[in-house]
Amino acid sequence: MTDTASRAAPRRNGPGVNISSAGGMAIDIRNLTVRFDVANRPPVLAVDNVSLSIRAGEFVSLVGPSGCGKTTILNLCTGLLPVAYQGRVDILGKPPTAGNPDIAYMLARDSLLPWRTALGNAAYGLEIRNVPQAEREAHARELLVRVGLGAFCDAYPKALSHGMRQRCALARTFCLGSPVFLMDEPFGALDAQTKLQLEDVLMDLWSAEQRTVLFVTHDLAEAVALSDRVVVMSARPGRIVADVPIDLPRPRSVRALQKDEAFHHLYAKLWTLLEEGSEH
Amino acid sequence: MSTGNSGGNPLLNLAANASRGGGFSLSGASATRLGAHAMFVLTILIVWEISAQRGLLDPTFFGRPSGIRDFLWKGFVTEGKLWRELGYTLGGAAISFVLGSVSAVAFGLLFTTYPALHRAAEPYLTLLNAMPRIALAPLFLLWFGLGIGSKIAVGVSLTFFIVLSATVAGIRGVASDHLILSKALGASPSQLFFKVTLPSAVPVIFSGLRLGLIFALLGVVGAELIAAEHGLGQTLAYLQSTFNMDGVMALLFLLALLGLGVTAIMNRIERALLAWQ
Repeated sequence: MTDTASRAAPRRNGPGVNISSAGGMAIDIRNLTVRFDVANRPPVLAVDNVSLSIRAGEFVSLVGPSGCGKTTILNLCTGLLPVAYQGRVDILGKPPTAGNPDIAYMLARDSLLPWRTALGNAAYGLEIRNVPQAEREAHARELLVRVGLGAFCDAYPKALSHGMRQRCALARTFCLGSPVFLMDEPFGALDAQTKLQLEDVLMDLWSAEQRTVLFVTHDLAEAVALSDRVVVMSARPGRIVADVPIDLPRPRSVRALQKDEAFHHLYAKLWTLLEEGSEH
Repeated sequence: MSTGNSGGNPLLNLAANASRGGGFSLSGASATRLGAHAMFVLTILIVWEISAQRGLLDPTFFGRPSGIRDFLWKGFVTEGKLWRELGYTLGGAAISFVLGSVSAVAFGLLFTTYPALHRAAEPYLTLLNAMPRIALAPLFLLWFGLGIGSKIAVGVSLTFFIVLSATVAGIRGVASDHLILSKALGASPSQLFFKVTLPSAVPVIFSGLRLGLIFALLGVVGAELIAAEHGLGQTLAYLQSTFNMDGVMALLFLLALLGLGVTAIMNRIERALLAWQ
């Protein structure tokens, strides 16, 4: 994986980002255990002793059956989950905090603000981070062009299709320039064809300016097509049952991969692992 | 046109003109629909006028279209007295609306920022809101006199609660996704409020404002009906007590038009302001 290592050089990182402080790891999770309190019942063990390290510039997918705690892990990394946990979570050497500028967060729901145009939405993250208007709009416009929405800068979200809205959300995410991306099934609400298109858009953006990506999905094909590594979790309580390197050559075309034999082989292998993890 | 004339004929002529499309170019579905409505209203007016002439409908109780027309002509053109009354009513409604809605939005913000305060105040607000506000008019008259003060008080008491509940509902209705995303981006509390909560609440607040304006007008006219020195409501009460049914009908028509006009203006503002919806 020499090419992965070469990607690890810091890119558009914010000031003060020191990757080496986490031993070269962009995301470092050590012995993470999370319990949820349930009223009148013993606490539910959601995540059981999970350790996961992601190098800078690496694209890692977290797959597993529904309720396995993959979203919990992601939300912990954003610092938005007000839950006590045992173990350590470090993002670029720092514990998770809400509003950490090192992190860009993307959800299945596009969460576009309906009163803002596509341009206003793409620039929203930078606006929150107090980037001057001319600068953030120029950057947002450039990204909208790259996701194929160049002609829709002034359109309101109501005029955009699902796929276009999610393209806009991708532009907003990449516009941030954060070195670490946390994505929670960003294409989960799209139809199969639109999903493939958006995955290719993501691959294009990511190959051009590589970020560290932790990508949560329950779609194995998506995980294999996009990732450097696929981490498989078991049903609740969530444990890591496999960590599979995806050695498909890059740059990848997700649509071309659909007919690739190695892709299907990996898919079948992961499917078996996932099924084993679900039965117990 | 004096009442002795065959008042139906000019109306009939007008109707005939309209049906031939005389003078108008009735193209498109909306123009056709407008023509159909005009025909319908004209027919009613003609039937009303003829019934009044023939003694089928007593003008002492129902007035008559020609009399209503004469009353409005006199009030707005030859004597012009109605303009002043209209001014008092509209002025009172405008002041009530501004005072009521500004204070309601302010309280709405206060209550959503401090939910404990809202919980404490809620039973009293509910009680006040449950009271038929027009019943307070005699009290307000005593406190604020026959001038503009008492009608503004009634108008404000109606507008305030409507806009308050809309403001609270609008601010509470903010999509949690938008808040989560903004918090993840590192939005400060004031950024959250001005960039997410407030814009998302605007449509709901606006529908509250639209209702509030109608109710401000209603409160003012209601207070004038009970007692006032000026205003359309006061004029209406006077005309009713002197059995001037043409005048009463004319004023009712005028008040309905006012309500329509107010709604149309608010709709236009809303469309301009909320183009994204």
